Amino acid sequence: MHGHGARGGHRFRKGADRAIVLVGNPNVGKSVVFGLLTGQYVTVSNYPGTTVEIAQGTTGFHGSRSVVIDMPGINSLIPMSEDERVTRDILLKERSQVVLQVADAKNLRRALLITLQLAEMELPLILDLNMTDEARSRGISIDSRRLSDILGIEAIPTVATRREGTDRLVKELSNPRVSKYTVKYDRRIEEAVGKIAELLPEQPISRRSLALMLLAGDTSLVPWLKAYLREDIITKIDQIRQAVQAHYPDRLSYVINQQRMEAVDSIMKEVYSVTDKTGTSLAAHLSRWSMHPVGGIPILLGVLYLVYKFVGEFGAGTAVDFLEGVIFGRYLNPWSVRLVEYLVPISIVRDLLVGEYGLITMGLTYAVAIVLPIVGTFFVAFGLLEDSGYLPRLATMVNRLFKIIGLNGKAVLPMVLGLGCDTMATLTTRILETAKERILVTLLLALAIPCSAQLGVVLGMLGTLSLRAALVWAGVVLGVLLAVGFLSSRFIPGRGSDFILELPPIRIPQFSNMLLKTAARIEWYLKEVVPLFLLGTAVLFAFDKLQLLDIIRKAASPVIVGLLGLPIQATEAFLLGFLRRDYGAAGLFMLAKAGQLNPNQTVVSLVTITLFVPCIANFFMIIKERGLKTALGMVGFIFPFAFLVGGLLNIALKYLGVSL
Amino acid sequence: MGNEATDELLELLWILREEGEDRLTEVLQAAEAANAEETLRNMAREGLINLRSDRVILRQEGKKRAEEIVRRHRLAERLLWEVLELEQRYIHPEACRFEHILSPEVTESICTLLGHPHICPHGKPIPRGECCTKFKTEVKPLVVRLIDLEAGEEGTITFIVPRSHSRLDRLLALGITPGSVVKLHQKRPSYVIQVGETELAVDDEIAHDIYVKRGIERKGQ
Repeated sequence: MHGHGARGGHRFRKGADRAIVLVGNPNVGKSVVFGLLTGQYVTVSNYPGTTVEIAQGTTGFHGSRSVVIDMPGINSLIPMSEDERVTRDILLKERSQVVLQVADAKNLRRALLITLQLAEMELPLILDLNMTDEARSRGISIDSRRLSDILGIEAIPTVATRREGTDRLVKELSNPRVSKYTVKYDRRIEEAVGKIAELLPEQPISRRSLALMLLAGDTSLVPWLKAYLREDIITKIDQIRQAVQAHYPDRLSYVINQQRMEAVDSIMKEVYSVTDKTGTSLAAHLSRWSMHPVGGIPILLGVLYLVYKFVGEFGAGTAVDFLEGVIFGRYLNPWSVRLVEYLVPISIVRDLLVGEYGLITMGLTYAVAIVLPIVGTFFVAFGLLEDSGYLPRLATMVNRLFKIIGLNGKAVLPMVLGLGCDTMATLTTRILETAKERILVTLLLALAIPCSAQLGVVLGMLGTLSLRAALVWAGVVLGVLLAVGFLSSRFIPGRGSDFILELPPIRIPQFSNMLLKTAARIEWYLKEVVPLFLLGTAVLFAFDKLQLLDIIRKAASPVIVGLLGLPIQATEAFLLGFLRRDYGAAGLFMLAKAGQLNPNQTVVSLVTITLFVPCIANFFMIIKERGLKTALGMVGFIFPFAFLVGGLLNIALKYLGVSL
Repeated sequence: MGNEATDELLELLWILREEGEDRLTEVLQAAEAANAEETLRNMAREGLINLRSDRVILRQEGKKRAEEIVRRHRLAERLLWEVLELEQRYIHPEACRFEHILSPEVTESICTLLGHPHICPHGKPIPRGECCTKFKTEVKPLVVRLIDLEAGEEGTITFIVPRSHSRLDRLLALGITPGSVVKLHQKRPSYVIQVGETELAVDDEIAHDIYVKRGIERKGQ
């Protein structure tokens, strides 16, 4: 984060008069409020140097233009996650900003913990008490006027999805106030805060709040400290901190937050009341059932079946057929071939663009005609699952299972996504908290989670064999997944993370929000993933032109014939599989169709190719996310291991005299 | 609370009485202090005991005080044994110190915490206190681990074992703090708990570290 200090303040502006920063706990309807404020064009980008996504849009009312920044959901401003750190950094650096805190009215207590921290920063603040309808239906009432008086800022009840109260919200945004509320901490803490504040420079947020953050021992502030303060002052602050810490058995961050929480509780007493709850709602029943140790399983299977129907059959079937066969096959590709042939005289450039391994005819066709409909439908399904609140419940169902392989339930999200596209899923391993978990999931995705394209071919081939053959394939792949996960979780250094997952209420997803989200994700796919497909195609093209393919073919044949017991023609398929495992699978499909593979050979070859690295784009994604060294290490393990497993299966089948 | 020598003797008299022993010679023999006889005479003057020929008899006031001391001692033993899991040999000497310093309020809390136990670790009866009779129906221990609650039960968090600082901070930010009311929804396939309107799925390990009092004790609300 070095060097973002002074300039960072203007990064998110682009000529707007001021910034409205949206802050709030997760699942409070922040993006709906964001959508209401900005409406039109929205960009999603990563905060510099991080993987945190921030949506931005502009809004114009009362003659001024504001940029609206939608921060990820947070629970505290003493950062415990990258999301929280980025939010804190933006608040720390952005000048002339207004903070709009969106709160879930029924979870006011947690929201106020953040409110008090924002009040401490002395930033102009508006509090949106959103989802008051849900609170009402649970018998919760909030005296927003009293709350407003106590905090000295506007506290506005809204139901953003129905636009209730949002007019007032927009009106008040033009005239926000700075809260006058201050939390009184212990004498020792107050004294230390006073002493530290004197040492600090003028900043967009109050010195008192900064002093409290420093006192809490917030290590994520170190770069900021180094940019603004002399070495001796940093040392002095640390001495003050340690002197205070010596008086408390708990860590200061906890002590400070606990005293804040006490202040929150005293506010709660005055403004928040619960009358008798009106029975259990249908949503609550659904929630219970979806996590029931027995009842949850048919629900899980049902959900997976529906996702398969939509993504696997409609997306990977109907939509791909149309895009690949009609749009690209009949129109775009022939047109571009003719256009390139007309415009480009050099044959090698022509080949690069529209040849067998051409950027357009293979790379773009692949990325847009085959993968896009699959990930597109997957995004819709994933968004529905996300907004309905089912995903965290799924994670809850599988948490114990994932513990076996050194992960926790949260890892189910990238794993499920991997069944759509492993390259994409590798990118979403960012949601995992520790480096160890991210490496582990990346490895398992690359090794044992077949993506939808591959799954389609594999299931097609297994469909022509017996059920027993399908079970052997699934059993071996699943066994490898568990065994490798179990073992590598013990070898990879580092630690796992706590499983603490919030379960938002089961809700009916909102159409407009879904649309916005899916559009943002597709944009992100086109920008981040498609270039990798093109790069992968270029590498394949180079291999082909340099005739490396032939050389490798000769070298690999002993393994294919000797170890796996397959005909020499299969080598080609595996070679393609190095670059895209579903192409490899497709090659095997052709062989099997031509009657050159018996059922045993089919299963052995399928197991081997399933365990390959999914595709060259996935490989590049691993480099991008995990670094070259880790990526090479993984690839160096995966390919020999895939052949080893295939070889062992071949020997086992022979030895046991099984014919599938 | 009178002086320690008196307390020790009162305790001794109570214990001997439990065994049916009240002879002066036996009492003096069992007493560790050298000036026990003098102390006993002082106690007689204060009206705590009657010294009749060779017998020592606890009077009303003395009996009450002796009972309280023994109760404190045996509750302390139970606390050290059951909750702190101290080794057997440390329990008695430590409890001897506790019996002199515990206030009535703390004694009552310990008794309630332990679920109003009837006997000490050595099998001797613990004299009943006011709290025991008042909450006659309350036989379950009040402070239990979250995992000891039944699914659907509610409890008030008393403390969280601070196994890692960042975990405490995280739980606090989610509203999981001492004093909050927590409801256990289910134990399988994962622990699902609710505080306020926040529902969370947590690891077994975390549920193990949260200690709760059964039932709701809403502060103010």
